[in-house]
Amino acid sequence: MPLEILLVEDSPGDVRLTQEAFRIAGKRINLNVATDGVAAMEFLRREGVHGEAPRPDFILLDLNLPKMDGREVLAHIKEDEELKTIPTIILTTSEAEVDILRSYKLQANCYLNKPVQLEAFEFLVKTVNEFWLTLARLPPRETVV
Amino acid sequence: MSTRPLKNRTVQVAFGSAIAILLLVGELSYRSIVITSENNRWVQHTHEVLENLQELQFAMETVASSVRAFLLVKDEIYLDRYRAARLSLDRHAAAVRALTVDNPVQQRRIPNLERLTAERLDLADKNIDLIRNHQPLPEVSSFRAGPGLQIMVDYQAIIRQMQDEEQRLLVLRDANTKQSTSRTELILIVGTVLGLLITVAAGWIVQRDTSRREIAEEALQESERKYRALIQGIKEYAIYMLGPQGEIRTWNPGAEQMTGCTPEEAIGQNFSRFFPPDDIALGRPQEILRLAAANGDYEEQGARMRKDKSRFQVRANFTASRDSAGKLRGFSVISRDLTENSESDTKYRGLLEAAPDAMVVVDQSGGIVLLNVQAEKQFGYRRHELLGQKVTNIIPVGFAERLIADDLRSTEDALAQQIGTGIELIGLRKDGGEFPIEIMLSPLVSAEGTLVTAAIRNISLRKAGEQHLAQLQGKYRGLLEAAPDAMVVVNQSGDIVLLNLQAEKQFGYRRDELLGQKVTNIIPVGFAERLIADDLRSAEDASAQQIETGIELIGRRKDGDEFPIEIMLSPLDSAEGTLVTAAIRNISVRKTAEMHLAQMEGKYRGLLEAAPDAMVVVNQGGEIVLLNVQAEKQFGYRRDELLGQRVTNIIPVGFAERLIADDLRSTEDALAQQIGTGIELIGLRKDGGEFPIEIMLSPLESAEGTLVTAAVRDISVRKAAETNLSQMEGRYRGLLEAAPDAMVVVNQGGKIVLLNVQAEKQFGYRRDELLGQKVTNIIPVGFAERLIADDMRSAEDASAQQIGTGIELIAQRKDGSEFPIELMLSPLRNAEGILVTAAIRDISVRKKAAVVLLQKVEELHRSNEELGQFAYIASHDLQEPLRMVASYTQLLSRRYKGKLDSDADEFIAFAVDGASRMQRLIQDLLAYSRVGTKGKDLAETSSDAALQQAIINLRGAIEERGAMITHDDPLPVVLADEMQLVQLFQNLIGNAIKYHRSGVPQVHVSVVRNGAKKWNFAVKDNGLGIDPQYFERIFGMFQRLHKRDEFAGTGIGLAICKKIVERHGGNITVESQPGLGSTFGFSLLERSANTTSTQG
Repeated sequence: MPLEILLVEDSPGDVRLTQEAFRIAGKRINLNVATDGVAAMEFLRREGVHGEAPRPDFILLDLNLPKMDGREVLAHIKEDEELKTIPTIILTTSEAEVDILRSYKLQANCYLNKPVQLEAFEFLVKTVNEFWLTLARLPPRETVV
Repeated sequence: MSTRPLKNRTVQVAFGSAIAILLLVGELSYRSIVITSENNRWVQHTHEVLENLQELQFAMETVASSVRAFLLVKDEIYLDRYRAARLSLDRHAAAVRALTVDNPVQQRRIPNLERLTAERLDLADKNIDLIRNHQPLPEVSSFRAGPGLQIMVDYQAIIRQMQDEEQRLLVLRDANTKQSTSRTELILIVGTVLGLLITVAAGWIVQRDTSRREIAEEALQESERKYRALIQGIKEYAIYMLGPQGEIRTWNPGAEQMTGCTPEEAIGQNFSRFFPPDDIALGRPQEILRLAAANGDYEEQGARMRKDKSRFQVRANFTASRDSAGKLRGFSVISRDLTENSESDTKYRGLLEAAPDAMVVVDQSGGIVLLNVQAEKQFGYRRHELLGQKVTNIIPVGFAERLIADDLRSTEDALAQQIGTGIELIGLRKDGGEFPIEIMLSPLVSAEGTLVTAAIRNISLRKAGEQHLAQLQGKYRGLLEAAPDAMVVVNQSGDIVLLNLQAEKQFGYRRDELLGQKVTNIIPVGFAERLIADDLRSAEDASAQQIETGIELIGRRKDGDEFPIEIMLSPLDSAEGTLVTAAIRNISVRKTAEMHLAQMEGKYRGLLEAAPDAMVVVNQGGEIVLLNVQAEKQFGYRRDELLGQRVTNIIPVGFAERLIADDLRSTEDALAQQIGTGIELIGLRKDGGEFPIEIMLSPLESAEGTLVTAAVRDISVRKAAETNLSQMEGRYRGLLEAAPDAMVVVNQGGKIVLLNVQAEKQFGYRRDELLGQKVTNIIPVGFAERLIADDMRSAEDASAQQIGTGIELIAQRKDGSEFPIELMLSPLRNAEGILVTAAIRDISVRKKAAVVLLQKVEELHRSNEELGQFAYIASHDLQEPLRMVASYTQLLSRRYKGKLDSDADEFIAFAVDGASRMQRLIQDLLAYSRVGTKGKDLAETSSDAALQQAIINLRGAIEERGAMITHDDPLPVVLADEMQLVQLFQNLIGNAIKYHRSGVPQVHVSVVRNGAKKWNFAVKDNGLGIDPQYFERIFGMFQRLHKRDEFAGTGIGLAICKKIVERHGGNITVESQPGLGSTFGFSLLERSANTTSTQG
């Protein structure tokens, strides 16, 4: 079964890059995209149009989002009993230490900086794939007994 | 003494035994010496024996060995040895025999010895012959064992035995010797000690004896002395010694008294001369002696005769004294005058002679029975001329009458009436002269009845005095008695004839104690001399000279105290000639005062002379009575030229007027007005020159009235200075007016004493509105405080503190508006003390400017910050779209390279290239701006650690190029931002590795101290080097010296380095030559003084 990944990213360029990167990594994934925080929450909560949305196995979250900020999204995810078990990785251009700290405080599973160079970006995605999606064990999808 | 012979005996015995012991000791010593020498001989003998025995042994051995040797070697030389040994054997054997001749034991051994010797020699000879004859020897091989050996052994045994014997004997002898020696020693010691003890004992006995004898002798002498004293002391008894024939040997005072003969007269005489002639004729004296000699002693009572032929009865005791043999040595006589009252008589006689007055003893019939030497003198008779005469010869009238008992009363009563009373009578001298006398009578009971002792005093003087007194009574008594001073009247011979009550008091005598006495008793020195007429002048002249003069002398009281007196003499004619009346005044008080005055004058005079100013003392008449050396100098006069002169001579005008009391005020008031004031006048020198003076007056009370002391100070200099000052003041005033700033001069009281026109303008006042006003009117706060001397510092100090400092204060205009000012103070001395000149500058403009500046700085600061932020944000936000462009052009390039045409490839390549360049540029820009914005505070950083980190960061490039990075060791701790320091090293070393063509890049980081606080780092490489003309450029932003295809890089590296170094308070330098590598230098601060390095 392909992994369901939720990518919360407002820049379509970055979205496409990410897709390409995963493809190069060779992993079969289903990349769901939310372009802002509100949409992300709706997706996660399977609200509105996202009533039939799959539950993501993994979330890649940018911080600087319109409408609802990535930090808020993170907070919401990690407060929600059902959602907080989903590994959530912050993927952002912000190098601010305050962001890093805040993110971990909010229980982000990991904090990654988007590299400027394409190669470096591809390498990062590859590493994430190897570590998080291959080596690491993810929690079961349904929490149904 | 019976004990004497016994003692003698003891001493003899003692000495005898001591000598005996000594002899014994001597004998024993001799004995022991003999024994010792004997023993020595024995020892020697024994040694000799032993020696010889030893030689025997040796000889024997020599025999054996020489034979053996010969047998082996067959050399004749050994035979010589053999023969010699044989000889020795013989010799020594003979010796032994001889020596031990007295020892049978030893002697017994000798034959054995000889036998063995013979055997051995025999054997030896045999062997020798054999050898000689070249025949084989029996048992040649066993020279060791064999008969020869046995013989040797036996021989040696015997020798040893003999030796042992001798040793034994030696030991025995030794023991003997020791024993006898110690015995002798003991005896010697004991004997010596005993001898000493006895000697000491004897000596002690003798000594004791002697001292006892000495004590006895002394006691004897002592008792003799006492006896003699006793004898001498006894006056009531005549005690004397006679020789066997009656010659007087000793004489005591008692005898003298009794007989009237002195010892010189008596000793040697025969004692019979004191007997009455009839007794002598009867041979009484000899009989007495005979009886005394016969019976041992004899007491008799009889008559004696004094030197003056007077007879008297005595009771005498004669004691014969004999020597130890019984021979008569003489007699000791004790006799007592039996005359009744003789004792008291004698005493009385003594008293009489010693009496100061004439003493006459008269019997009941009026005859003089006794008189003394004074009586002789007074009446001019010799004793024997008066003795027995009637007393009326010397006292014609009055004596006898008083004494003769009449029917009405007995002698005693008559006497009784007279006792104690001084009776005035007239005495008659031998020459017929009469003189008044006073007699004091006292009875004297004697054997002959009641006698009358009369003490006769010559009262002529007193009478004369009384007469005088009577004479002067009317005239002088009143005066005299009433006089407040002591009055004493003295006659020409210096006797006091009259004195008054005061004199009694002053001198502490009673009148009658002084009357008739010499005046020298009360005035020891000085009085008499002046009065006694001498050859040169008469009494009148002498007196005349003294009249009215107060003479200072010393008076002496009865108790011996002396006190200063002043006497005033005046003559007094009298019947007896010129008397001198002396008024005596006790001047002790005055003298003390005079002394004090002299002291004070001395002090005062000293002060006067020492005074720095001229001091002149002027009296009420305006005359100079005193001046000091300064005055002499100032006025050019000598002291004596001024003393007594009018003060107007030196101070023409102004002095006198002020002083002379006029009708309106007294001197004191006049003075009072001048006291303390410095009055300026003109002084006139001797040479006529005038000079300005200032005088200060003060009064001085003296005996002569009120004097004025004037301190005169030459103020010409000051006057000149004052003139100068006023001149200068003029000039100063000019300066003041011309000054561009407001100038205000303030006095110590804080009042404005001077200001210029600028000040008027600045403050909006007119000059006269400010002059005299408190400076606080224009500078409310801050001026006065700084200037007014407080308890802690003087005005000078206060001013000193302000000099040169610009003080900012607030000033107030007349209209009340305030404006900021800056003060510059400087002190100014003048006559009134210290003034402060304040230059006042209106700094409102400056203040505004300062405010503006501050604002601008604030703005700048803010804008810088904004700029920094802006740079950061800009570059950060620029990254995003750039990332897209770069990434997608790369993707394009990847996916479609070769799939489109070559143009497309080229275009895409340029696009990719441009995009990535842009990315790098922006990254560098970010890095550059982060130096400022992301910079941390400087802290103690290990430059070593930073370098290591930079090397780690560069390890890829280092490994790639094989670069060698070295550095000084150790690298110091510096004040830096750690990350930036790493970046700095990283950039410089990275450059060094990059800009290198071929070979191994070598980089060396060195550091050198620069002063106390800085480290100068240097990064030296062996790279391409830099053309000096580009030294400036390379530190610019995005400046490159090479083409892009030669070396990569944006050119921001050094700019970042520069910014980092400048941020750290240093500056970056470069030294380089193309082709010779480059050295980049920069300095960093050492750890700051405030921080202490903590060991981590």
